[in-house]
Amino acid sequence: MTGVKDLLETATNGSFSLEAGGSRYRYGVYGMVVSSDTPLDLPSEADGGVARVECVSAPAMAFLAATDRGGYDGDTDSWYRYVVLGDGSTYVRWRTIGEFLVSADGRRVMFRRFDQASLESFQVYLLGQALSFALIRQGFEPLHATAVVVDRHAVAFLGSNAFGKSSLAACFLEAGARLLTDDLLILGESRNRIVAYPGPPRLKLFPKIARRFLGQDALNRVQMNPDTDKLILPIEEHRRQGRPVALDAIYALTPPRDACRVPSVRVESLSPREAFLELLKGTFNRRLTNQPRLQRQFGLMARLTNRVAVKKLSYPRSIDRLAEVREAVRADLVRDACPALNNQPGILD
Amino acid sequence: MVSFSERLTVAPDVLFRLVGDEGVLLNLNTTLYLGLNPVGTRMWHALTSASSIQAAYNALLGEYEVEPAQLRADLEEFIQRLLGQKLIVAGPALDASHEPA
Repeated sequence: MTGVKDLLETATNGSFSLEAGGSRYRYGVYGMVVSSDTPLDLPSEADGGVARVECVSAPAMAFLAATDRGGYDGDTDSWYRYVVLGDGSTYVRWRTIGEFLVSADGRRVMFRRFDQASLESFQVYLLGQALSFALIRQGFEPLHATAVVVDRHAVAFLGSNAFGKSSLAACFLEAGARLLTDDLLILGESRNRIVAYPGPPRLKLFPKIARRFLGQDALNRVQMNPDTDKLILPIEEHRRQGRPVALDAIYALTPPRDACRVPSVRVESLSPREAFLELLKGTFNRRLTNQPRLQRQFGLMARLTNRVAVKKLSYPRSIDRLAEVREAVRADLVRDACPALNNQPGILD
Repeated sequence: MVSFSERLTVAPDVLFRLVGDEGVLLNLNTTLYLGLNPVGTRMWHALTSASSIQAAYNALLGEYEVEPAQLRADLEEFIQRLLGQKLIVAGPALDASHEPA
């Protein structure tokens, strides 16, 4: 067992690698193997992964040591703090949730859950925002998107917070689609196709949406954080997709401020240049803008633009119109369907 | 204003990619992204591969049905915008014998 003293020393040295054996739980998410010294609500590792991340719990003193040394000014009461420390590691904290330290190479995440945070809420931040720093450090380029599987192919909804991605996904689940990932989408290339990897099996929804589309009551559900009514809803196995899937299309959602001016559901094709810029706007965690990442983004988005249909999806933000949006997307997918592609399995064996 | 006898090159730390028939640019120093429509993309190629701006102008004049004065004005405006965003740098023209075939 690694003691506090060891944690302090390793953190102070800027390399908080903990002893092997501390991370005895192994999971598969985003196409990666996540090992942890604490149980997480994730599927077990199935067949390896394209990368590895080790998550290790640590006491407050370990974070103090690292941030003191890294020149972090912790004297603030803001909800969210993020800083790149002197050794290249990243410290990130949410006031009522927890704190995280991501190593410079993205292979290790040290975490501490604050007392007032529920385990479910904490895991949303660990496996979303905090893990995104690790993924980016390892050379992945996550998109801010929620994806569902329709007819064995993945469809992604791209947009920032509060754009309606999860609500639209819930509406698709009501009609038999499966959830692939919520909020953070990792893409890869396999057999000359763009593939999308499964994320944690949960959706974050407002109670009204959960009740309407998933038939789930808000009772006994956990809030995402104290400042929102959004709930964290585990998705049952028959409603989720556990394997990577070929990505068919990306729909960039209109910002909510523009949606109020949209009288009807509209799917618009984008020029390659417009598609490229939409994808760039939809990258996850845009705070990290170092040159290697920008170069990588530039190359990936150009490849994506040339290989995946990217469209603009506009619709009035009303729960009563979501089924209409779903049908418009389904019709658009059928219109664009390529016979040659349809003969290929979307779900990778 | 840059002279048409000068040559333009892509600034260091600027990336260009073709997506479909359109171009996208990234200035790594300013983190500015820019999209070019098909005509802008052709202008970019002509300007950054020719031995001088005048040579690019001559090439474009042969490709587009446009009044010479209009093309000159459009090119000048385009070049000013590219220079303003530090996407290109101006320098002495290459010897005409170095121009790509």
